[in-house]
Amino acid sequence: MASISATAISIPTRPRHSLQAVNGIFGLKSVSISSLKRSFPSIRLQPTPMHFRVCCAAKPETVQKVCGIVKKQLALPEDTTITGESKFSALGADSLDTVEIVMGLEEAFDIGVEEESAQSISTVQDAADLIEKLVAAKSG
Amino acid sequence: MSWLLRRNMLPLHSNSLARRPLASPPPLLPAPLPSPRETHLWYVVPDQLKDASLLNQYMDLLSPCERQSVLRMNGERLQKGALLARALVRTTLARYCRVSPKSFKFRKNRFGKPEVEWNKYDLWAPPPLQFNISHTSTMIACGVALDLPIGVDIEEKQRKTRNNILSLARRYFSPVEVAYLRTLADLESQRHEFIRLWTLKEAYVKALGRGFSGAPFKDFTIRLEASNSKQVTGESKSDASRIVVEAVDHPGILMNRWHFALFELNNSHYAAVCMERDVKDPADRENNSLKLEVWRTLPFVEDECVTETAAVKNIIR
Repeated sequence: MASISATAISIPTRPRHSLQAVNGIFGLKSVSISSLKRSFPSIRLQPTPMHFRVCCAAKPETVQKVCGIVKKQLALPEDTTITGESKFSALGADSLDTVEIVMGLEEAFDIGVEEESAQSISTVQDAADLIEKLVAAKSG
Repeated sequence: MSWLLRRNMLPLHSNSLARRPLASPPPLLPAPLPSPRETHLWYVVPDQLKDASLLNQYMDLLSPCERQSVLRMNGERLQKGALLARALVRTTLARYCRVSPKSFKFRKNRFGKPEVEWNKYDLWAPPPLQFNISHTSTMIACGVALDLPIGVDIEEKQRKTRNNILSLARRYFSPVEVAYLRTLADLESQRHEFIRLWTLKEAYVKALGRGFSGAPFKDFTIRLEASNSKQVTGESKSDASRIVVEAVDHPGILMNRWHFALFELNNSHYAAVCMERDVKDPADRENNSLKLEVWRTLPFVEDECVTETAAVKNIIR
């Protein structure tokens, strides 16, 4: 595992890691972002956009509900792990999926999402936070 | 076109600096460049890939950054799709440029559209190719054009929507398009036409380089217009009409800069291509239609030109 991490982050003057197919198509285990970040605290794997959470993060139940809607829309296998950090692009959502997810969320939470707000959502957590903000605005 | 003169000087595999733990893959079938008004479309069917060592060969073509992106996809199926997409782009471009697929560097425009970063090549002048890819879980397609913006979108014919078609259309399509869908009596026809219109609209915003978020679907209409263009014998065109695009705010003023093709691919997908016209070319100004050449490929394994076959049918331009 450590050698795979090193190869993924190092500058490509080292010999490339020879990839062996073991079980299934890839012998590569999906390296989790958090484990790599622990090994290399100063290195960012990807330039993630800075976004501020204006209020507290959404309740876990909201995140769970969003995960359920997303899983259903994208017809993901049951054993797929989706968390708040999951990016829609990494889940294989195309633009039609994205609009259907937004409409599904609107129906489930009885809210209306503006197109501009919908464009700013890139993770499940973003969606859950936006939903709670809209729900609070509606009842507040 | 100085690249024509220099073509013979290009090595087939120009990557002598990298260490190659894997055996060199077989050379790719080279392809002649697209002619004016012509789109080349290369597609791969992931299910046809049975050989795990081929995946390793494809992985070997990618930059470290691309590999990380592939690994960030959630699950093996999505990782395989992402890998195939990058391998398809690199191997397709390599056929035209006669260099190693590894050589290309990519960047994104300000809306996120990927394009080749050409200025790394100071030894020779590569052909000014533009490309665009589209995926579904069962097919990945890459369109290529010479020196003109191109957008490609594919969708499974059987794709079902969770939401009602007219609800989706009312929210995202233009009033003219909604009115058209409402004329279709049965739900199946409505669904098919919705999908076809969606692919055309996607292809257009991708050709613009702005994508779905940069060019709201509601702001423009795509429809058929009766045309005066000459019929070419042998084409299965049932009526002399062409696909046109106009701004919702300026109906009747056609945006003639763009031409389209919509067709069925591999009996499984609808495919739409949108390409900019060359306004300097007199032939293009006469609104002649877009030409299409299509190949089914499994890079390094097999290529088949399917243009005149049943794999490409019901072409509307």
